[in-house]
Amino acid sequence: MDNKYVIEVKGLTKEYNNLRAVDNLSFEVKKGEILGLLGPNGSGKSTTINCILSLLKFSSGSIKIFGEEMSPDAYDIKRNIGVIFQEVAVFEELTVYENIDYFCGLYIKDKATRKKCIDDAIKLAGLGEFKKFYPKQLSGGLLRRLNIACGIAHKPSLIFLDEPTVAVDPQSRNNILDGIKKLRDEGATICYTTHYMEEAELLCDRIIILDKGKIIAQGSADELKELASIEEKVTVEINNLKPEIIEAVKSAENVDTADYIGNTLVITYKKGQNNFGALIDFMSREGVVYNKIFSERPTLNDVFLELTGKELRD
Amino acid sequence: MTVFKTFLKVLNKLKFVVIMYTVILLVFGVFNMQAGDSTSEFTASRPDILIVNGDKGSVLTENLVRYMEDNCESIDVKNDEEAVDDALFYRDADYVIYIPENYGKNVLDGQNPRIEVKSTQSAGASFAEMLLSRYIKIQNIYADEMRDEDEIINKINLSLESNVKAELTSQLDSGGLSRATLYYNFASYSLLAGAIYVICLILSSFNEEKIKKRITVSSMNYKKHNSILMLSNGVFAVSLWLFYVLLSFIFIGKVMFSFQGLIYIINSFLFAICALTIAFFIGSLVNNKNAVNGIVNVFALGSSFLCGAFVPIEWLPQSIVNAAHVLPAYWYIQNNELTKTIEVFDFNTLKPILVNMGVLVLFCAAFILFSNICARRKRKIA
Repeated sequence: MDNKYVIEVKGLTKEYNNLRAVDNLSFEVKKGEILGLLGPNGSGKSTTINCILSLLKFSSGSIKIFGEEMSPDAYDIKRNIGVIFQEVAVFEELTVYENIDYFCGLYIKDKATRKKCIDDAIKLAGLGEFKKFYPKQLSGGLLRRLNIACGIAHKPSLIFLDEPTVAVDPQSRNNILDGIKKLRDEGATICYTTHYMEEAELLCDRIIILDKGKIIAQGSADELKELASIEEKVTVEINNLKPEIIEAVKSAENVDTADYIGNTLVITYKKGQNNFGALIDFMSREGVVYNKIFSERPTLNDVFLELTGKELRD
Repeated sequence: MTVFKTFLKVLNKLKFVVIMYTVILLVFGVFNMQAGDSTSEFTASRPDILIVNGDKGSVLTENLVRYMEDNCESIDVKNDEEAVDDALFYRDADYVIYIPENYGKNVLDGQNPRIEVKSTQSAGASFAEMLLSRYIKIQNIYADEMRDEDEIINKINLSLESNVKAELTSQLDSGGLSRATLYYNFASYSLLAGAIYVICLILSSFNEEKIKKRITVSSMNYKKHNSILMLSNGVFAVSLWLFYVLLSFIFIGKVMFSFQGLIYIINSFLFAICALTIAFFIGSLVNNKNAVNGIVNVFALGSSFLCGAFVPIEWLPQSIVNAAHVLPAYWYIQNNELTKTIEVFDFNTLKPILVNMGVLVLFCAAFILFSNICARRKRKIA
């Protein structure tokens, strides 16, 4: 087995009738890394994951996991894979513990080993107090955690997480993200799909941005941000800003765009230094009173906007 | 083992369904058995009759009176018409026979004298009337051919005696068999509804798309997983059948140790397997737990009504009976009804029962085939 890559996808294409959901996709995932598949809804993230897991037949291309060709009956490969789907997939009739026990039992036969794995999964997901609860007694966030515990209890070395934090409260989200980091620290390779750019930035070593089934950019969060033509974004909250001031800002050095919408002025800068200081000086000189002002680096959303002309959350 | 253990845990959540259908079987099935008992005892009951004999002293008439008194309970009332009417009104007597003056002599003269009667139109009255008609028919036959009174009486008594002997040749425990038939007919509803309800709910849990997806990506062979699941359902259906058979031994008793009892058991086993395959078929069509309840009610209740599990099939219109042929319960109930009447066990008497069992086996095969087709179609769509 080639230890370098855990997943190797080459020329993956999936078509539904005339619609090309995944278009000639090629990428690799290194051992121990967290790869983020980022893209808006319908960009092909879940289809790609389903093809990798052999849940969907693909039109062309090849998929290797742990250096072996992946197929529906590649049970030796599947033994080391954990999957957490977007939808919570648990039995309503079973308790938290029984659910984890069942899904872990699909991989591990030995009772003692399984018990230890279940206890570890419960601990990792923070479900210790809820072992005897039934799913309908759990909140949305706890259900998500149970969903994760069911997927990782057998201690897989490759984990697929398909938007695990959709519709989750902030506390549970933090718990889930901490759990994922812990899994990576324990040596697991993670393939994480999301349309939340903050999560991707926070978690992923490498990010692949997908749109319409194609890779439009890939690299670390910092490398991707380099792709943006803007370098800085300044947001100012001002009441009743005069049009001549807006025009003056637009014509200032390094300014790319300046838009005043509502009470907010958003200025983007291309390259250059001390743009923020220069803007503050200009405001003082012109006697403009502002409520708040802050500067930020371009986000992945800005990168996506620049590459595709649309917002990531569309 | 994981799959079987989980199956049992889910089944445990549905135990109330099994309990409910068992209670229904015990309450209504045993109630039916009691009703069946009272009907079968009717033949042995002796109707109350009142004979107003206007021909005392005639040997021929005395023979008629003796025959009626031997087979019925003869009551005494005051010899006036009002007292007779009161006895009928208060049901002290089911049937009143007025033997006219010179009845015996007129019979011997070949005049075919008329006997007046009064009846309450009850079941007892019908039985008394049947006895009287039978006697008079036999008496008339011999009176037409003979003139000697003693000879006629001897011939009449001989004929009546031989008739009685013919009735007694049957060794069937008709009461026990009726009860067994009613129990097993009703059990078809509990078996069908219980098996379909429980199995479909369990299958809908395991076949939920997201759960199925999780099982598919696991390292357990999905076909193996499904085989264990199907086998677990089979274990449940057989256990349910075994439980109902055990109850039949408790409530019916002796008959269940006879050859007929064995036929009831084999027949119900085939029906339980058929219910299992129907459950697989419905389970492969329906994944919605709420829909299962409606389907069970429509299918199990409809099938039981149409095929004669609740009411005797002879009470149903012919068109309904014809339609019932497409349901397995019809062949199962037909077998129960045939078993009730079988006395001699040879190939000829068992043949219709074996044919019906064969039809049940064919139904099983058909439902398995339909389930497979549905499952394949679903996989293709997915």
